[in-house]
Amino acid sequence: MKISRTWLQKYFDTELPSAEAIADALTFHAFEIEEVDGEVLDIKVLPDRAAYALSHRGIATEVAAILKIPLARDPLREALPAWAPAGELVLTRGAEDKVNRKMGALVRGVRVGPSPLWLKEALESVGARSINNVVDATNYVTLNMGQPLHAFDAKKIAWHDGKLHITVRGVAAGEKITVLTGETYTLPEGALVIAEAVEGTALDIAGIKGGASSAITEDTTDLFVSVANFDGPSVRKTAQVLNLFTDASLRFQNKISPELAAYGMRDVLALITEVAGGEVVGVNDQYDGNAPQASVSVTRERVNRLLGGTLSLADIEDALARLGLPYTVSGEAFTVDPPFERRDLTIDADLVEEIGRIIGYDTIESRQLSPVARPLKNARYAGIEHIKDLLRMRGYTEVSTQSFAAAGDILLANPLDVSKPALRTELSENMSAALMRAVQTAPRVLGPTLPVRLFEIGSVFRKDGEHLALALGYAATTGKTKPEHLSEVIDALKDELGVTGLLKRVNDSVAEISLRDIDFEVLGTDYAPLPFALGAFRMFSVYPFALRDIAVWTPEGTEETEVANLILKEAGEHLVRIDLFDRFEKGGRTSYAFRLVFESRERTLSDADLDPAMARVTETLNAQEGWTVR
Amino acid sequence: MKVFGYTQKHMEEGRLHPITVATREMAEIFGRMGFSVAQGPELETEHYNFNALNIPADHPARDMQDTFWTTEEPRRVPRTQTSPMQVRYMEAQVAKGILPPYRIIVPGKVFRNEATDATHEAQFYQNEGLAIGEDVSLANLKGTLDTFFKEYLGEGSRVRFRPSYFPFVEPGVEVDVWFEPEGKEGRWLEVMGAGMVHPSVIKNAGLDPEKYQGFAFGGGIERLIMVKYGVPDVRLFHGGDVRFVHGFAESEI
Repeated sequence: MKISRTWLQKYFDTELPSAEAIADALTFHAFEIEEVDGEVLDIKVLPDRAAYALSHRGIATEVAAILKIPLARDPLREALPAWAPAGELVLTRGAEDKVNRKMGALVRGVRVGPSPLWLKEALESVGARSINNVVDATNYVTLNMGQPLHAFDAKKIAWHDGKLHITVRGVAAGEKITVLTGETYTLPEGALVIAEAVEGTALDIAGIKGGASSAITEDTTDLFVSVANFDGPSVRKTAQVLNLFTDASLRFQNKISPELAAYGMRDVLALITEVAGGEVVGVNDQYDGNAPQASVSVTRERVNRLLGGTLSLADIEDALARLGLPYTVSGEAFTVDPPFERRDLTIDADLVEEIGRIIGYDTIESRQLSPVARPLKNARYAGIEHIKDLLRMRGYTEVSTQSFAAAGDILLANPLDVSKPALRTELSENMSAALMRAVQTAPRVLGPTLPVRLFEIGSVFRKDGEHLALALGYAATTGKTKPEHLSEVIDALKDELGVTGLLKRVNDSVAEISLRDIDFEVLGTDYAPLPFALGAFRMFSVYPFALRDIAVWTPEGTEETEVANLILKEAGEHLVRIDLFDRFEKGGRTSYAFRLVFESRERTLSDADLDPAMARVTETLNAQEGWTVR
Repeated sequence: MKVFGYTQKHMEEGRLHPITVATREMAEIFGRMGFSVAQGPELETEHYNFNALNIPADHPARDMQDTFWTTEEPRRVPRTQTSPMQVRYMEAQVAKGILPPYRIIVPGKVFRNEATDATHEAQFYQNEGLAIGEDVSLANLKGTLDTFFKEYLGEGSRVRFRPSYFPFVEPGVEVDVWFEPEGKEGRWLEVMGAGMVHPSVIKNAGLDPEKYQGFAFGGGIERLIMVKYGVPDVRLFHGGDVRFVHGFAESEI
């Protein structure tokens, strides 16, 4: 939520520190800060604290606690006025199980117009658009103290018998509503609307967004102001189906207290009459009352046992007091009566968190766990790694591929890629693709002679359950891939580790083995997976490589490295790999044949790059005494 | 001039995927602190992935993780985190009559239904940690992670906590690590979520939360590999491209 420092300042008589300093304080004691832009902080309020902290008031209480700057005023601790009900307003809660509280007020004689500058600026500073003084007043109060509320043009709603009848009801199948911003939504089952009670006209998607039919315009003079508390999960569900998450829905889904509604009503009526004039006719309230929040107790011992600290009673008292949490102390036990808006405080660990974060997690010492006598139980893990080590030793390289597939036994309701809506039942398909790609890049990665050998161990998801499988891939780069190439490693797995369970031979190049029935614990008992160190990653070029071969006659006794070094020196910056692929002696001379791999990280190389390089190499080799490029 | 390949052309051995190598290193470091490796299913029940972790249905916390669901009845979920193993592991120990101390790490694949880019993948690996005892504290979490990161990322590393929220821990923290890459300036990296295991989770697993407490942490393995070795894009990990695996020089210790 965007929070303005200027706006926050209204809660303090003391000048607040800079927005950066506030951001820093909040970061280490309360919330993650997404961004600081001038005087405005974008604060990531997570669901646990959203019932009180999605508001300038809530953030102000945090700033007060963390920076030890006293709050000059707290609207939630100021008494509520006693309202007379409006006789012309007939308000019912309707769908009572999903409406915790319903308040309504009638206001007559407002003059709708532009907002005063301060209000406009306040809203715009946090990214909200100024619409008119009445709408702005409602939005301001929501962002200020966290209660969603809405003003309707009372004359655009049908009156019956000289009265305005308002209720909340569930929607009819296929019912539609056009909202303030002009879009028309078909309401899902379970959604609630605020409605005119006699004819049933829907006026507003309850807890989410107001309807267009009773929008405030310049001609509006009389208002129906609605402040309610709706069931959080119900609002969340509707918002989710409609994909319409609003400032209001976000607050309801996080279960703000129904007590908050009255404070919202008080503040919005005061602000509307201040900026738009008019007179409050009366306020109706349908509310059964709120079960008082249970008190929560914690002992000093528990605080220190969880945090691993040595906090004193005074430390704990200081933290609770700074947070404005009413508490009593009995011996070493603290009992806190959470204020109504602090719906996050329900168990002792919640209080431990409050104490720990206000004092600061930087004060927590870094302490090693005490040693345990029990031996490690790693046999299953080690068994899987044992198979990997065997394959690696036999020249196989491990790859990792995606678990989603085009077809399978188990489908996803919401795939990310619609072409892969299933969980894979086998690894072979991905292995075939990986192998084909590896063959293409083999001259660059492996050189001219080594075969491509790949494996993957991963989970497959079949009708008979989830289990590990092993895929093997083999492709010769010189000559033909033969069935015995893969058979050799399959036999080794069987002979050395007892791994059997061949699922299928896709072809000479790809095989898959089910590991479902393998007892990894047996394979892993007394086996320690080999440790490796990796070097810095060097990104491969996304551009294709090019190959050139060169063969040269040299006098007897010429070393391979002599030739290689000359080539390296002359071939230029794009040479990335050089391999000897042929060597023979004849008539007192030695022939060396090298394959050169060229590649650029910036572009595709052409003959114009390679020909001059090869010409330089050829010239230099020919210039050596007794050398001839063939 | 550095020419890759020439000196290694006789190499006949294959390579292990960097996730495998990193996991072994993590298992080794945590192993010295008494943590065993536990592994669990990638396709989870709603119970273990959410409910047992104190994330009830209709809780806004469910929006924190974009979840894939299966079309099965009852539906299951490609696990969004390795945390379900916390409860599975504790339950299994309790069933065998083994009481804490428990110490495990859980490396494994997790799934998130979110758009992919250079730093986000729909499938990635997490390493979970769980330590339960009678007095395992937040200070122990700091000590354990300090030790891990000093060994894994370098002696100059240290961790700091920021308040955060995960339904299965209380207090919950975000863990930053100070990382000093060779020859570069140090910086703070956000690397994992952690906290003290929520009493409801301990209770759900069949232990008495009055008696037993502990910490849990979980963070992405790819991200650590990316910062440690300079990998620019998380999508390289699980694309089945051998050029990625060969992009690291590998040597046996």
